[in-house]
Amino acid sequence: MAGAPVEALQRVPLFMDLDADEISQIARLFKQRRFAQGETVVREGSGGAAFFLIESGEATVSVGGTERPILREGDYFGEIAVIDEGPRSATIVASTELVCYGLTFWDFRPLVQDNGAIGWKLLQAMVQKLRAAEQGFRPI
Amino acid sequence: MKDAVPLEMARDTSIFGSKAVGLGEAIREGLPVPPGIALSGPIVEAVASGDEDAIEKVTSAARSLRAPLAVRSSAVDEDGADASFAGQHLTLLNVPSIDRLTAALNEIWWSANSDSAITYRQRVGLFTRPSVGVVIQELLNPDSAGVMFTRNPITGADERMIEASWGLGESVVAGLVIPDNYRIDRAGHVLERTPGHKKIAIRSVPSGGTVQEEVATDLVGRLCLDELQLEELSRLALRSEQVYGPARDIEWAFAGGTLNLLQCRAITRTGL
Repeated sequence: MAGAPVEALQRVPLFMDLDADEISQIARLFKQRRFAQGETVVREGSGGAAFFLIESGEATVSVGGTERPILREGDYFGEIAVIDEGPRSATIVASTELVCYGLTFWDFRPLVQDNGAIGWKLLQAMVQKLRAAEQGFRPI
Repeated sequence: MKDAVPLEMARDTSIFGSKAVGLGEAIREGLPVPPGIALSGPIVEAVASGDEDAIEKVTSAARSLRAPLAVRSSAVDEDGADASFAGQHLTLLNVPSIDRLTAALNEIWWSANSDSAITYRQRVGLFTRPSVGVVIQELLNPDSAGVMFTRNPITGADERMIEASWGLGESVVAGLVIPDNYRIDRAGHVLERTPGHKKIAIRSVPSGGTVQEEVATDLVGRLCLDELQLEELSRLALRSEQVYGPARDIEWAFAGGTLNLLQCRAITRTGL
């Protein structure tokens, strides 16, 4: 079977509103990537090549040296740098053996451009991140 | 085009990359290149995706080779005039069996699509979809190996410069040892030979991968090439220039008494 398992994608909020055919098409674009325990998956400030879904394992997240919630099966990361071609906004390190499915910039961009439902979900996720960031800076 | 062909049939750099095509040309011209196959960029991507037809095609082609294998990237735009991708894309020197090829190709494909590779592409103005061909060859277990410039890359002088060390040539390429240095004129006369300080040798290990071994004390400062081997290298330099043109950067290895050409590309250093 090529690409990511359809069931793995169906668990991801970003793809939940898509029908089975659409998910199958997207699944074929993903490639598995394994990271060893302790391996840096993405480094804050580096260019961003791919968006990743976690199939199994756990990863720690830090932004500017501050720890953030751990990522686990079904979580995804890496979409920000892939969208704006800017630097990675967090450092992610595999805290166990980590199996991911990755979608590169070259496949991710046309996928979002061609699929309004995915674009909308992505927008909602971005707004949530924006609200969370704003709340972090709100004066008491 | 999802192709897996014997190296000597790799002719199109836009499909197989410059490394594969260069080695293919060398074999066709009778230069001593270890047996191998060339994979096109699309078939490497298909294998990385888990496409079973592509995996079967590659596995079947690789059965003509005796493991362990050296699996090297041959990016379509690698070693071009404007930007070299050497160091960005992975080489896996000791893949111990054909069963491990799929995982190796997945790793190599991701190395061309890694954050560091993309950062590099952005920096040099080549922000385009990477295509990575691959060369798979039988891995040598060299007694000595290194690099040879068919023209002095610093001064531009018309002389051969050779750097050599024990074991696999990666110790020289990666700067892990102070290699022996040799200068030879175009007629093959040795102008200078300077022993290096070769404290480690890179060797393959049966379970896969390589290891840095300590070199026996009496070999650390001993020259690792004799007169006959320097003559052979001199002939290889001449023949490589006849095939590819002047000013070549050659990776070579002596294994079991036989000289092998591992890579031949244009010198990219200054001074020329």
